[in-house]
Amino acid sequence: MGFTILAEVARNADADVLVAQNVAFGIIAAIMIFSAIRVVTTSNVVHAAAFLVMVLAGAAAQFILLGAEFVAVTQVMVYIGAIVVLFLFGIMLTRAPMQGTEKFTRDNWKVGALTSVVMLAVLVFTLVDGFGEDKLPADLMPTDTRVLSDAIFSTYLVPFEVISVLLLSALIGAIVIARKD
Amino acid sequence: MLATIFAAAEGFVRPDIDWHALAPELVVLATFVVVLLVDVFTEEHSRWTASSFAGIGLLGAIVPLLTLAVRDGDPASLFGGGFVVDDFSLVLKALFLVAGYVTVLVSSNQIAEGDYHEGEYYLLLLASIFGMMTISSARDLITIFVAFEMLSIPTYMLAAWRKRAQTGIEAGMKYYLIGVFATGVMLYGMSLIYGGTGSTLLSEIGAHIGGDFGQEPVAVVGILFTLVGFLFKVSAVPFHNWAPDTYEGAPTPVTAFLSVASKSAGFVAILQLVFLGFFGRADVVRPFMFVLAVATMTVGNMIALRQTNIVRMFAYSSVAQAGFILVPLSVIGAGSADTADQILSSMVMYLLVYTVVNLGAFAVIISVSRRTGSGEIASWGGLFTYAPALAVSMAVFLFALGGIPPAVGWFAKFQLFTAVVKADTTLGYAAGVAMAVNSVISLGYYLGVMRTMFMDDVPDGDTTPVRVPPALVAAVGITVVATLVVGFLPGLVGDLADHATFALSLGE
Repeated sequence: MGFTILAEVARNADADVLVAQNVAFGIIAAIMIFSAIRVVTTSNVVHAAAFLVMVLAGAAAQFILLGAEFVAVTQVMVYIGAIVVLFLFGIMLTRAPMQGTEKFTRDNWKVGALTSVVMLAVLVFTLVDGFGEDKLPADLMPTDTRVLSDAIFSTYLVPFEVISVLLLSALIGAIVIARKD
Repeated sequence: MLATIFAAAEGFVRPDIDWHALAPELVVLATFVVVLLVDVFTEEHSRWTASSFAGIGLLGAIVPLLTLAVRDGDPASLFGGGFVVDDFSLVLKALFLVAGYVTVLVSSNQIAEGDYHEGEYYLLLLASIFGMMTISSARDLITIFVAFEMLSIPTYMLAAWRKRAQTGIEAGMKYYLIGVFATGVMLYGMSLIYGGTGSTLLSEIGAHIGGDFGQEPVAVVGILFTLVGFLFKVSAVPFHNWAPDTYEGAPTPVTAFLSVASKSAGFVAILQLVFLGFFGRADVVRPFMFVLAVATMTVGNMIALRQTNIVRMFAYSSVAQAGFILVPLSVIGAGSADTADQILSSMVMYLLVYTVVNLGAFAVIISVSRRTGSGEIASWGGLFTYAPALAVSMAVFLFALGGIPPAVGWFAKFQLFTAVVKADTTLGYAAGVAMAVNSVISLGYYLGVMRTMFMDDVPDGDTTPVRVPPALVAAVGITVVATLVVGFLPGLVGDLADHATFALSLGE
């Protein structure tokens, strides 16, 4: 339902809507950056997982703003619905320490910080230089899920089939590595 | 039933599938399913049948490769050009199948006696080979990425197969963590390329990179990031840190597989990307590859000289060999169009030769370590006195790796060297000199093992002959014969490699 409204809004897109989109983008991006920083700075594993949910939900929201409804739904179902929940169950069932009691080594933080700053500078420069002038098309329409499924079963048939073999072999290998014997 | 559903679906165009072109992959996939079922429905004591089925399946997949090779007409291009079966892909698929078969031969005793999970072991090996075959035909970023994961993820788990040993787990974890990190960087690079070109097809990316988009900084960052993911796989310095620990901790047959097949698959992806996608910015790739190639050769050789464990020595030697293979990329696009073809065929040639020779060397290492039970080079002392056949075979492989005639290695190295020097650029000559110096350095450790085998005394005076199981005899035999035959008649592989250029005309 929400998607059809969004589609309607997008069809009548004018300057105001695009401004609203930009504002929404900014707010969501700020929340994502804050949460991402908290993921790595918090010492409580469960809190880190919760902040990770925020980051992933933010990414899903950004996809909706871009009209990619299928990707957004997949993001929520796979990452939030499956992976993070599995992660939380893993923490609870294995009785891993919730509070970070062990000392983390931070010996290499200077090299790490330098690398991050350099990477950030390079990426910001190249991205702004390369895509800074680009604008969303005024007639932005949500991508039809049917188009995606048609592409998966025609153009991208080989990768689709390969991924199913990949999942099967990953499953088998993981069981062998994890089981007690 | 299905036909009516398809008819009802508006706008869906059923892809035209050339089953013959897909046959080699399908045979491997069928073998995968058969091994899975055999593993499920057989008793523990007859699990060894898995290795037989895997070996037969891999050999069987060569049949459709041969029929495809003699098929007339243009190379098959399926799924809108994302999957192409040309001579380049056929030659490399044959390489992966042969490497896989020899790996099965060297594995069969080791894995059965070590009480590892046999059925699952061959299953993952087949899965990885399936990924390698797919990546040889992949001409589209998504297909390349998925095939790359298909060949990598099973090997992460195979590296951790000795899970009861601390070193086994360390091997798997290191390989996995560095692997996923490199994959992340690579995907980011691919997303930048896609953002700029709007296509995942290498042919269209090539057109855009050669055009306006190629001149933007974002294209350069995209190209370098994408290549980093594959450079990790070929263990180029500075992405080589995982190699020694992983090679030492993994079961030795897996190490053999990683050092040849997995490395070749990384090179296949690099060749496809560089020649078909990024050729328009060869001026960026050249200095990048020059620095990496020289660093990889030098660092690999310097550390290999100091190793006392034979598997670690071969790990660093394979790092150095990766450097040799990267050298020709430091002159790509600098000469005329036929130099590009020559560079490509010299690299394919070296990959073919290196695969056979290194697998052979590992087959000997596995045979000898069955008796000595240790990886120390010192324990190889006097091998010639009690196992002359193994010692002579190893000598052949060491000669080949070092590039001494008449073993095949010299010709392959000579081809690389010619390709580099022929480009007639400063960078090319510098790379040629670095390569020559490093070839001499590498003789230091290859001949060191020779001296131990032929000159030194047997460490504990025990000179009972080594009992080598038939599968290992076959593996050593196949590789020795191939090394010598191709060494005397290098034209055989040369012709094969000359055909293995892309169907597209390059370097216009």
